[in-house]
Amino acid sequence: MGERAPREAALVARSPIAPAPPATVEQGWEISARRSVARLRLTDATPLAKVLVRAAADGPVARGLEIRFGRAARDADGVLVVGSGPGEWLLLAPPGTAPEIARRVTARADGEFASTFDVTHGRALMRLSGAPASDALAKVCAIDLSDGVTPDGAAVRTSVAKLVTDLVRDDRGGEPSYLLHCERSSGQYLFDALLDAGDEFGVDVDGFVFPGV
Amino acid sequence: MLLPCPWCGPRNASEFRYVGEQTVRPDPATADPAEWRSYLYMESNPAGWVAENWLHRAGCRRYFAAERHTVTNQVRATRPPDAEAAPAQHADAAAAGRAGEHVREGRP
Ligand SMILES: [Zn+2]
Repeated sequence: MGERAPREAALVARSPIAPAPPATVEQGWEISARRSVARLRLTDATPLAKVLVRAAADGPVARGLEIRFGRAARDADGVLVVGSGPGEWLLLAPPGTAPEIARRVTARADGEFASTFDVTHGRALMRLSGAPASDALAKVCAIDLSDGVTPDGAAVRTSVAKLVTDLVRDDRGGEPSYLLHCERSSGQYLFDALLDAGDEFGVDVDGFVFPGV
Repeated sequence: MLLPCPWCGPRNASEFRYVGEQTVRPDPATADPAEWRSYLYMESNPAGWVAENWLHRAGCRRYFAAERHTVTNQVRATRPPDAEAAPAQHADAAAAGRAGEHVREGRP
């Protein structure tokens, strides 16, 4: 029996979505280093810190977050606060910041019973960007994605490709862009379903770029 | 068919789970087996207006009450269960009349 191989110095976090080659490791996450300038791009944004908050819809925590159900916006620290349900929020922030984000929320609780969960490794997150993003998404989602009904900063939990998904419209560079958040075990399926829906629009995989929010 | 969730507004009916007609739970101290059976398994299922409960499974994950016409699938009123206050946050969706507008699309 040979000698045991030395343990890797650092642990590597992996998304449930297989990285498009070439894969690389950055800040402890295995990500795709692929870059695309296609008209429609799909990015695995799973490395983002994801913190789920549950609290009263009108308590101190809710007032501190300042985002009502159905809307999403960045706070003063650049954290994307998503009003994902009545009395429920999803906080998206640069990778590795989840404990700090959760601490900041509980500090504001002021005696209120509120829960924070770090769901970073339990969920998958992806971003669909580009001019045809709404048209591609409309193929797998029954929500009216027109600007009047689902403008920039809108957040809905709905069925996307038959999967319960938090859908956030978060436009970038004047182009429609959507964040899609689902259970980790469904991540690869949703990613593939979106690639399939985006095929006719020339969708391409674009790698994750830190900090990503 | 579109169902108007009191929190989320009109959504595809496939996002919901049908919970059942609204009934009153019998008193466990006095109810006999026939009453429990009736409460658990029997539905009146009229051809007309019925008060029922739905769960927005793929959305806000809240239960709500709806008055639905079983022939036309028109929904004339939805509200959260009695214990919960009216959803002030999404009152705009309901007030905008989107719910009333969409439910008429229901077909038998
Ligand atoms: Zn709902």
